[in-house]
Amino acid sequence: MSIITRSPFLFRINTGSCNGCDVELATTAMIPRYDVERLGCRYTGSPKHADILLVTGPITARSKPYLIEVLDELPRPFVVVAIGTCPTSCGIFRDSYSIEGPLDKYIKVDVNVPGCPPRPQAIIDGIAKAIEIWKRKIRDEK
Amino acid sequence: MSGFLKIAIRNLLKGPTTDPYPFGPTFVPDKLRGKLKVDPKACTACGTCEEVCPSAAIHITKNNNLYVHITWYNTCCFCGNCEFFCPTGAIKLSNNFHTANTEEEKYKFVSIAVIPEIKCEKCNSFFVPPSEELLKRAYPHINEEIERFRKICPECRKKEAFKRLYK
Repeated sequence: MSIITRSPFLFRINTGSCNGCDVELATTAMIPRYDVERLGCRYTGSPKHADILLVTGPITARSKPYLIEVLDELPRPFVVVAIGTCPTSCGIFRDSYSIEGPLDKYIKVDVNVPGCPPRPQAIIDGIAKAIEIWKRKIRDEK
Repeated sequence: MSGFLKIAIRNLLKGPTTDPYPFGPTFVPDKLRGKLKVDPKACTACGTCEEVCPSAAIHITKNNNLYVHITWYNTCCFCGNCEFFCPTGAIKLSNNFHTANTEEEKYKFVSIAVIPEIKCEKCNSFFVPPSEELLKRAYPHINEEIERFRKICPECRKKEAFKRLYK
Protein backbone atom coordinates (compact mmCIF):
# COMPACT_ATOMS: atom_id res chain seq x y z
CA MET A 1 0.00 0.00 0.00
CA SER A 2 2.88 2.36 0.68
CA ILE A 3 3.91 2.30 -3.01
CA ILE A 4 0.55 3.73 -4.06
CA THR A 5 0.53 7.43 -3.26
CA ARG A 6 -2.67 9.39 -3.21
CA SER A 7 -3.03 12.58 -5.20
CA PRO A 8 -4.74 15.56 -3.59
CA PHE A 9 -7.81 17.25 -5.03
CA LEU A 10 -8.11 21.01 -4.87
CA PHE A 11 -11.33 22.80 -4.07
CA ARG A 12 -11.72 26.55 -4.39
CA ILE A 13 -14.18 28.75 -2.54
CA ASN A 14 -14.71 32.45 -3.08
CA THR A 15 -15.79 34.24 0.10
CA GLY A 16 -16.54 37.66 -1.34
CA SER A 17 -13.31 38.22 -3.23
CA CYS A 18 -12.96 40.79 -6.02
CA ASN A 19 -12.19 37.94 -8.49
CA GLY A 20 -8.56 39.02 -8.88
CA CYS A 21 -7.26 36.01 -6.98
CA ASP A 22 -9.80 33.75 -8.74
CA VAL A 23 -8.46 34.86 -12.11
CA GLU A 24 -4.93 34.10 -10.94
CA LEU A 25 -6.08 30.68 -9.67
CA ALA A 26 -7.73 29.97 -13.03
CA THR A 27 -4.47 31.05 -14.71
CA THR A 28 -2.51 28.70 -12.46
CA ALA A 29 -4.74 25.74 -13.21
CA MET A 30 -6.20 26.17 -16.67
CA ILE A 31 -3.56 27.53 -19.03
CA PRO A 32 -0.59 25.37 -19.99
CA ARG A 33 1.91 28.05 -19.04
CA TYR A 34 1.53 27.65 -15.24
CA ASP A 35 0.23 24.10 -15.13
CA VAL A 36 -0.53 23.24 -11.52
CA GLU A 37 -1.39 19.65 -12.46
CA ARG A 38 2.34 18.98 -12.84
CA LEU A 39 2.44 18.81 -9.03
CA GLY A 40 0.02 15.87 -9.12
CA CYS A 41 -3.17 17.61 -8.08
CA ARG A 42 -6.30 18.75 -9.84
CA TYR A 43 -9.48 20.71 -9.25
CA THR A 44 -12.69 19.10 -8.11
CA GLY A 45 -16.21 20.46 -8.13
CA SER A 46 -17.32 19.08 -4.80
CA PRO A 47 -15.93 19.76 -1.31
CA LYS A 48 -16.64 16.10 -0.42
CA HIS A 49 -13.75 15.02 -2.67
CA ALA A 50 -11.37 17.78 -1.71
CA ASP A 51 -8.10 17.44 0.19
CA ILE A 52 -6.77 20.96 -0.17
CA LEU A 53 -9.11 23.93 0.27
CA LEU A 54 -8.17 27.20 -1.42
CA VAL A 55 -9.95 30.23 0.02
CA THR A 56 -10.03 33.63 -1.66
CA GLY A 57 -11.60 36.83 -0.39
CA PRO A 58 -12.14 38.40 3.04
CA ILE A 59 -14.93 36.44 4.73
CA THR A 60 -17.96 38.67 4.20
CA ALA A 61 -21.03 38.42 6.44
CA ARG A 62 -23.09 36.96 3.56
CA SER A 63 -20.58 34.26 2.61
CA LYS A 64 -19.61 33.15 6.13
CA PRO A 65 -22.39 30.49 6.61
CA TYR A 66 -21.50 28.90 3.25
CA LEU A 67 -17.82 28.77 4.19
CA ILE A 68 -18.65 27.01 7.47
CA GLU A 69 -20.87 24.59 5.57
CA VAL A 70 -18.02 23.73 3.19
CA LEU A 71 -15.58 23.32 6.08
CA ASP A 72 -17.95 20.78 7.68
CA GLU A 73 -18.25 18.80 4.45
CA LEU A 74 -14.50 18.36 3.87
CA PRO A 75 -13.07 14.89 4.59
CA ARG A 76 -10.39 14.80 7.29
CA PRO A 77 -7.45 15.43 7.12
CA PHE A 78 -7.46 18.49 4.90
CA VAL A 79 -5.19 21.46 4.32
CA VAL A 80 -6.38 25.06 4.12
CA VAL A 81 -4.55 27.55 1.91
CA ALA A 82 -5.41 31.27 2.08
CA ILE A 83 -4.90 32.78 -1.37
CA GLY A 84 -4.40 36.52 -1.38
CA THR A 85 -4.03 39.14 1.32
CA CYS A 86 -7.78 39.17 2.12
CA PRO A 87 -8.24 35.76 3.83
CA THR A 88 -4.76 35.99 5.38
CA SER A 89 -5.34 39.20 7.34
CA CYS A 90 -8.23 41.03 5.56
CA GLY A 91 -5.72 43.53 4.13
CA ILE A 92 -7.33 46.85 3.23
CA PHE A 93 -10.80 45.64 4.35
CA ARG A 94 -9.77 45.03 7.96
CA ASP A 95 -12.27 46.25 10.60
CA SER A 96 -14.97 46.92 8.00
CA TYR A 97 -18.60 46.44 9.11
CA SER A 98 -19.37 43.56 6.77
CA ILE A 99 -16.10 41.64 7.07
CA GLU A 100 -15.97 38.66 9.43
CA GLY A 101 -12.41 37.59 8.60
CA PRO A 102 -9.60 36.74 8.75
CA LEU A 103 -9.85 33.06 7.92
CA ASP A 104 -7.86 31.76 10.90
CA LYS A 105 -10.71 32.76 13.23
CA TYR A 106 -12.71 29.78 11.96
CA ILE A 107 -10.23 27.10 10.92
CA LYS A 108 -6.53 26.35 11.32
CA VAL A 109 -4.89 27.73 8.20
CA ASP A 110 -1.76 25.93 7.01
CA VAL A 111 -0.34 28.10 4.24
CA ASN A 112 -0.78 31.81 3.51
CA VAL A 113 -0.06 33.26 0.08
CA PRO A 114 -0.31 37.05 0.41
CA GLY A 115 -0.37 39.31 -2.63
CA CYS A 116 -3.01 41.43 -4.26
CA PRO A 117 -3.33 39.23 -6.29
CA PRO A 118 -0.41 36.82 -5.76
CA ARG A 119 1.61 35.82 -8.81
CA PRO A 120 0.78 32.38 -10.30
CA GLN A 121 4.28 31.22 -9.34
CA ALA A 122 3.62 32.24 -5.72
CA ILE A 123 0.35 30.25 -5.78
CA ILE A 124 2.25 27.23 -7.14
CA ASP A 125 4.74 27.69 -4.26
CA GLY A 126 1.87 27.75 -1.78
CA ILE A 127 0.20 24.65 -3.25
CA ALA A 128 3.55 22.79 -3.21
CA LYS A 129 3.92 23.61 0.49
CA ALA A 130 0.31 22.56 1.11
CA ILE A 131 0.87 19.16 -0.60
CA GLU A 132 3.87 18.52 1.66
CA ILE A 133 1.83 19.38 4.76
CA TRP A 134 -1.03 17.16 3.53
CA LYS A 135 1.33 14.20 3.00
CA ARG A 136 2.73 14.70 6.51
CA LYS A 137 -0.78 14.78 7.97
CA ILE A 138 -1.71 11.51 6.21
CA ARG A 139 1.50 9.85 7.46
CA ASP A 140 0.73 10.96 11.02
CA GLU A 141 -2.77 9.52 10.82
CA LYS A 142 -1.65 6.03 9.84
CA MET B 1 -2.74 22.97 -45.19
CA SER B 2 0.79 24.35 -45.49
CA GLY B 3 -0.03 26.95 -42.79
CA PHE B 4 -1.11 24.23 -40.41
CA LEU B 5 2.04 22.21 -41.14
CA LYS B 6 4.20 25.26 -40.53
CA ILE B 7 2.61 25.82 -37.10
CA ALA B 8 2.85 22.13 -36.22
CA ILE B 9 6.55 21.92 -37.11
CA ARG B 10 7.31 25.20 -35.34
CA ASN B 11 5.58 24.00 -32.18
CA LEU B 12 7.45 20.68 -32.34
CA LEU B 13 10.78 22.49 -32.57
CA LYS B 14 9.92 25.05 -29.86
CA GLY B 15 9.02 22.51 -27.20
CA PRO B 16 6.48 22.97 -24.42
CA THR B 17 5.36 26.45 -23.38
CA THR B 18 4.97 25.49 -19.73
CA ASP B 19 6.93 27.66 -17.33
CA PRO B 20 9.31 25.30 -15.47
CA TYR B 21 8.92 27.36 -12.29
CA PRO B 22 8.99 25.13 -9.20
CA PHE B 23 11.65 22.98 -10.88
CA GLY B 24 13.48 25.63 -12.90
CA PRO B 25 13.91 29.35 -13.55
CA THR B 26 11.02 31.66 -14.34
CA PHE B 27 10.44 34.99 -16.04
CA VAL B 28 9.96 37.99 -13.74
CA PRO B 29 9.15 41.45 -15.15
CA ASP B 30 11.43 44.26 -13.94
CA LYS B 31 8.54 46.49 -12.91
CA LEU B 32 6.78 43.83 -10.84
CA ARG B 33 5.76 45.18 -7.45
CA GLY B 34 7.04 42.69 -4.91
CA LYS B 35 8.60 42.85 -1.47
CA LEU B 36 9.90 46.28 -0.57
CA LYS B 37 13.40 47.30 0.28
CA VAL B 38 14.11 50.16 2.67
CA ASP B 39 17.45 51.94 2.51
CA PRO B 40 18.16 52.89 6.16
CA LYS B 41 20.75 55.49 5.07
CA ALA B 42 18.23 57.45 3.00
CA CYS B 43 15.22 57.02 5.33
CA THR B 44 14.54 59.82 7.82
CA ALA B 45 11.67 58.02 9.64
CA CYS B 46 9.24 60.81 8.67
CA GLY B 47 6.26 58.41 8.71
CA THR B 48 4.83 59.28 5.28
CA CYS B 49 4.75 55.61 4.24
CA GLU B 50 2.95 54.69 7.47
CA GLU B 51 0.36 57.39 6.72
CA VAL B 52 -0.31 56.49 3.07
CA CYS B 53 -0.29 52.69 3.47
CA PRO B 54 -3.92 51.64 2.77
CA SER B 55 -3.65 48.33 4.64
CA ALA B 56 -1.54 49.56 7.58
CA ALA B 57 1.28 47.15 6.78
CA ILE B 58 4.03 49.61 7.74
CA HIS B 59 4.76 50.55 11.33
CA ILE B 60 7.52 52.81 12.57
CA THR B 61 8.30 52.49 16.25
CA LYS B 62 10.92 54.19 18.39
CA ASN B 63 13.15 52.06 20.55
CA ASN B 64 16.15 53.51 22.45
CA ASN B 65 17.46 56.07 19.94
CA LEU B 66 16.56 53.78 17.04
CA TYR B 67 13.62 53.98 14.68
CA VAL B 68 12.44 50.54 13.56
CA HIS B 69 10.61 50.38 10.22
CA ILE B 70 8.56 47.17 10.03
CA THR B 71 6.62 45.96 6.98
CA TRP B 72 4.29 42.98 7.46
CA TYR B 73 3.79 41.32 4.08
CA ASN B 74 0.74 39.31 5.12
CA THR B 75 -1.35 42.48 4.98
CA CYS B 76 0.61 44.45 2.37
CA CYS B 77 -1.31 44.80 -0.91
CA PHE B 78 1.79 45.76 -2.95
CA CYS B 79 0.17 48.97 -4.23
CA GLY B 80 3.42 50.95 -4.27
CA ASN B 81 2.03 53.99 -2.45
CA CYS B 82 5.00 54.01 -0.06
CA GLU B 83 7.44 54.11 -2.97
CA PHE B 84 5.45 56.85 -4.71
CA PHE B 85 5.12 59.13 -1.70
CA CYS B 86 8.52 58.55 -0.06
CA PRO B 87 10.16 62.02 -0.05
CA THR B 88 13.71 60.65 -0.05
CA GLY B 89 13.29 57.64 -2.34
CA ALA B 90 14.37 55.30 0.46
CA ILE B 91 11.65 52.72 -0.26
CA LYS B 92 11.95 50.70 -3.45
CA LEU B 93 9.70 47.80 -4.43
CA SER B 94 11.80 44.89 -5.68
CA ASN B 95 10.51 42.21 -8.04
CA ASN B 96 10.75 39.46 -5.42
CA PHE B 97 7.35 37.71 -5.53
CA HIS B 98 8.05 34.77 -3.17
CA THR B 99 5.25 35.36 -0.67
CA ALA B 100 4.01 31.86 0.23
CA ASN B 101 4.53 31.23 3.94
CA THR B 102 3.24 28.75 6.49
CA GLU B 103 1.00 29.63 9.42
CA GLU B 104 3.88 29.33 11.93
CA GLU B 105 5.75 32.18 10.24
CA LYS B 106 2.65 34.30 9.61
CA TYR B 107 3.58 37.04 12.07
CA LYS B 108 7.31 36.72 11.42
CA PHE B 109 6.98 37.40 7.67
CA VAL B 110 8.27 40.98 7.92
CA SER B 111 11.13 43.07 6.66
CA ILE B 112 12.83 45.30 9.17
CA ALA B 113 14.97 48.40 8.64
CA VAL B 114 16.68 50.17 11.52
CA ILE B 115 17.24 53.93 11.28
CA PRO B 116 19.71 55.12 13.92
CA GLU B 117 19.61 58.57 15.54
CA ILE B 118 22.81 60.60 15.91
CA LYS B 119 23.98 62.87 18.72
CA CYS B 120 23.81 66.63 18.25
CA GLU B 121 27.26 68.22 18.33
CA LYS B 122 26.06 71.19 20.41
CA CYS B 123 23.52 69.94 22.95
CA ASN B 124 24.05 66.15 22.96
CA SER B 125 20.40 65.38 22.23
CA PHE B 126 19.49 62.61 19.78
CA PHE B 127 17.83 63.25 16.41
CA VAL B 128 17.56 61.74 12.91
CA PRO B 129 19.74 63.73 10.49
CA PRO B 130 18.35 64.75 7.10
CA SER B 131 19.65 62.24 4.60
CA GLU B 132 21.70 63.10 1.54
CA GLU B 133 18.78 62.33 -0.79
CA LEU B 134 16.63 64.85 1.08
CA LEU B 135 19.34 67.53 0.90
CA LYS B 136 19.75 66.94 -2.81
CA ARG B 137 16.03 67.56 -3.22
CA ALA B 138 16.08 70.72 -1.10
CA TYR B 139 19.28 72.44 -2.30
CA PRO B 140 20.80 72.68 -5.78
CA HIS B 141 24.35 72.47 -4.40
CA ILE B 142 25.39 71.03 -1.06
CA ASN B 143 28.21 73.11 0.43
CA GLU B 144 30.17 72.75 3.65
CA GLU B 145 27.82 74.93 5.65
CA ILE B 146 24.84 72.72 4.89
CA GLU B 147 26.91 69.70 5.81
CA ARG B 148 27.76 71.39 9.14
CA PHE B 149 24.10 72.20 9.86
CA ARG B 150 23.18 68.61 9.09
CA LYS B 151 25.03 67.36 12.15
CA ILE B 152 23.24 69.58 14.69
CA CYS B 153 19.72 69.14 16.00
CA PRO B 154 16.79 71.28 14.74
CA GLU B 155 16.73 73.50 17.87
CA CYS B 156 20.44 74.30 17.72
CA ARG B 157 20.14 74.72 13.95
CA LYS B 158 17.56 77.46 14.42
CA LYS B 159 19.82 79.32 16.85
CA GLU B 160 22.85 78.97 14.58
CA ALA B 161 20.94 80.18 11.54
CA PHE B 162 19.61 83.19 13.51
CA LYS B 163 23.11 84.10 14.72
CA ARG B 164 24.34 83.96 11.13
CA LEU B 165 21.81 86.65 10.16
CA TYR B 166 23.14 89.25 12.64
CA LYS B 167 26.84 88.72 12.21
